[in-house]
Amino acid sequence: MKARTLGAMLAALLLAACSGAGGGSSGTTTLTLWARDSEKTFIGQIVDAFNQSHKNIHVDVTIIPANNSFVQKLGTATANGSGPDVVSIDLVFVPYFAKAGALMDITSRARALPYLAGFDSAHMKLANYNGKLYALPFTAESSVVFYNKTLFQKAGLDPSKPPTTWAELEAAAVKVRGLGGNTYGYVWPGANGGASIFELAPFVWASGGEVVGGTPAQSVPMFNSPAVTDMLTFMHGMAQEGVIPPSASTDTTSNSLTAFQSGTVGMTPAGAFFIPQLESSKTFDWGVFPIPGKNGGFSSFAGGDEISVGSNTKNAGAAWTFVQWATDMSAQQAMAKQGVMPVRLDLASTIYTPLNPAYSIFVQALQQGHTVDSVVENALINDNNGPWATMIHDAIFNGNIKATQDAAQTKAQAIVAAG
Amino acid sequence: MSQRDRAVAAVRVAGRGRARRRALTWRRRRQLAGLLCVLPALACTTIFFFVPLGLDFWMSFNQWPLLGDHQFVGLQNYAQAVHDPGFLGSVGVTVLYTVIITPLLLVLAFVLAVLTQGADRASRFFRTLYFLPVPVGLASASYLFVWLVQPNVGPIGRVLQLAGVVQQPPVWLAATIPALLVVVGMVVWKVTGLQMILLMAGMQSIPDAMHEAATVDGAGWWRRFLFITMPLLRPTLALVLVFSVAGSLLAFDQFYIITAGGPSNSTLTAVYTIYRTSFVSFHLGYGAALSILTMLVLAAVSAVQLLLIRQSTELS
Repeated sequence: MKARTLGAMLAALLLAACSGAGGGSSGTTTLTLWARDSEKTFIGQIVDAFNQSHKNIHVDVTIIPANNSFVQKLGTATANGSGPDVVSIDLVFVPYFAKAGALMDITSRARALPYLAGFDSAHMKLANYNGKLYALPFTAESSVVFYNKTLFQKAGLDPSKPPTTWAELEAAAVKVRGLGGNTYGYVWPGANGGASIFELAPFVWASGGEVVGGTPAQSVPMFNSPAVTDMLTFMHGMAQEGVIPPSASTDTTSNSLTAFQSGTVGMTPAGAFFIPQLESSKTFDWGVFPIPGKNGGFSSFAGGDEISVGSNTKNAGAAWTFVQWATDMSAQQAMAKQGVMPVRLDLASTIYTPLNPAYSIFVQALQQGHTVDSVVENALINDNNGPWATMIHDAIFNGNIKATQDAAQTKAQAIVAAG
Repeated sequence: MSQRDRAVAAVRVAGRGRARRRALTWRRRRQLAGLLCVLPALACTTIFFFVPLGLDFWMSFNQWPLLGDHQFVGLQNYAQAVHDPGFLGSVGVTVLYTVIITPLLLVLAFVLAVLTQGADRASRFFRTLYFLPVPVGLASASYLFVWLVQPNVGPIGRVLQLAGVVQQPPVWLAATIPALLVVVGMVVWKVTGLQMILLMAGMQSIPDAMHEAATVDGAGWWRRFLFITMPLLRPTLALVLVFSVAGSLLAFDQFYIITAGGPSNSTLTAVYTIYRTSFVSFHLGYGAALSILTMLVLAAVSAVQLLLIRQSTELS
């Protein structure tokens, strides 16, 4: 029995190897696809649909947990030649992996796509490195503020008129906190670099500022710029007024979402990924509004994933077939039905926004979206012990804003210099 | 010793020519058998220790990104390390943690060992009770404590609030000293039992006759403790100390899970910094140099402690 299973496995391996080398042979080409754990709700279905419609290609998905370990695993696997054929990757990490040679140059293949102009522009910007295209946009995500309409009503606020400026947002948070007890006005994971770029940087962008400028290879951190000072001062003020729960200062995960879901927090910034979780336990009325600028306007983080052919692949042709299919109508529509925002803005109004009244705000936000385009994004921003995360935490919860910013700026410049 | 063996064998061989071949074969066989016996261990040590160590040394002299080409830079990584405020700060945190945790564990384990070394039912019960946390994984124990001190859902803050000690459940992990105390508390809870058992084994290996003789001579409990138990326990104490100090200097998991290095990177340990250098910033060469430095310090500290063992065995 055991020997037979082993024999079958060996045969399968041989078959895979043969078809891999033969290319045009009648066997099935097996591709490995890596995806991050936040995609596990829909990636299986997408891959199943692909496998059913493509008889000679079979895709196996591996879900890689947590963002930081994704970067490490893809890096180490690629370094020893065992990287995946296809990889779905947080867009902020694309510049690093493009520079490091982990992703295949797909410029000529992508140019032939008729819908290349329909992709979100921030995704396209990060997929480009030194004039070559290393990835295609795959999924989109934008950041907006979720607010608890029931709490707004109780606090004497008009739920149909959410805040449009910083002053209005602060006033609303203070009123909700005024309900007393364990009810707070505003929350976000205060010790998480990735969440803080997704949820706080849009306040800077919407007010005309920037967080990281320059080119991907030669980034210019702007952590001590006046626009960042303004945002930190605004948030520090809210922390001092006690509208942010003290536990936010140590939150490195998603406790803030759980808190909002429990109905004890007035507002929290998040992405469209939060909607299914929120709708699973509907105990209050909620809505979303775009992250406002200081005196109006709005912005968002343009997030999500890109999809790319790994440089270790021996089946570039089949891998490209999957990448192309994943960015086309049927896959994008299937994902939209799972609540994933399509990255094809040319399709959004037909396959996505009709599904939920809140969705159009996410699409509007994405169109005003910014992102961080740097090969050292992980060390600068997403690293919870890095300069961005520590600056956000220290300035907002401890004050001493200017000195904290200068210290973070020095560290950020050292990271860029070290490469 | 082996030289003397060889000399004796040579004399025998010279005296009895006939036995020569047999004696040599027998000795060779024994040597061969010995070699065969240690070969698996030797192979494992070579593959999993000496080769990586050599590689680590080589990497530490290079600028070595995770992906892409590496470049020989000589001692530059080491020169950078001794001026790196981030690394030196984390060494400081590690030393502080070791200085706090080591005596705490040792004294507590000692007291518990003395209290529960009897053969009666109560002693056995409490011994089991104190040992129970030991088999719990370090990661599981860390997550348990993270939950215990959570201000919103953790029971500790709630109990303090109900008892009227605090108005609001405190956010333990938001300040350096309380965060460090949470880690220390977890490690004490988890590790004391193991040290207790080790010390107890040492105590029980002291022959009863010694205690009886001292009792006959009129020595009370304290005198026996100070002049019989303590000196004869020195090898065990040194062993426990070596384990404890080495473990504390290499602390990583508990900080990674409980404090995540926070608040404001004030609880980043040396190994945590090595991890971040290598796998967040991808500077493998610099990370390798930091590893070598940490290993040298650890080797020096352990050597000093092993000297203590040797001295104490000579004394006894």
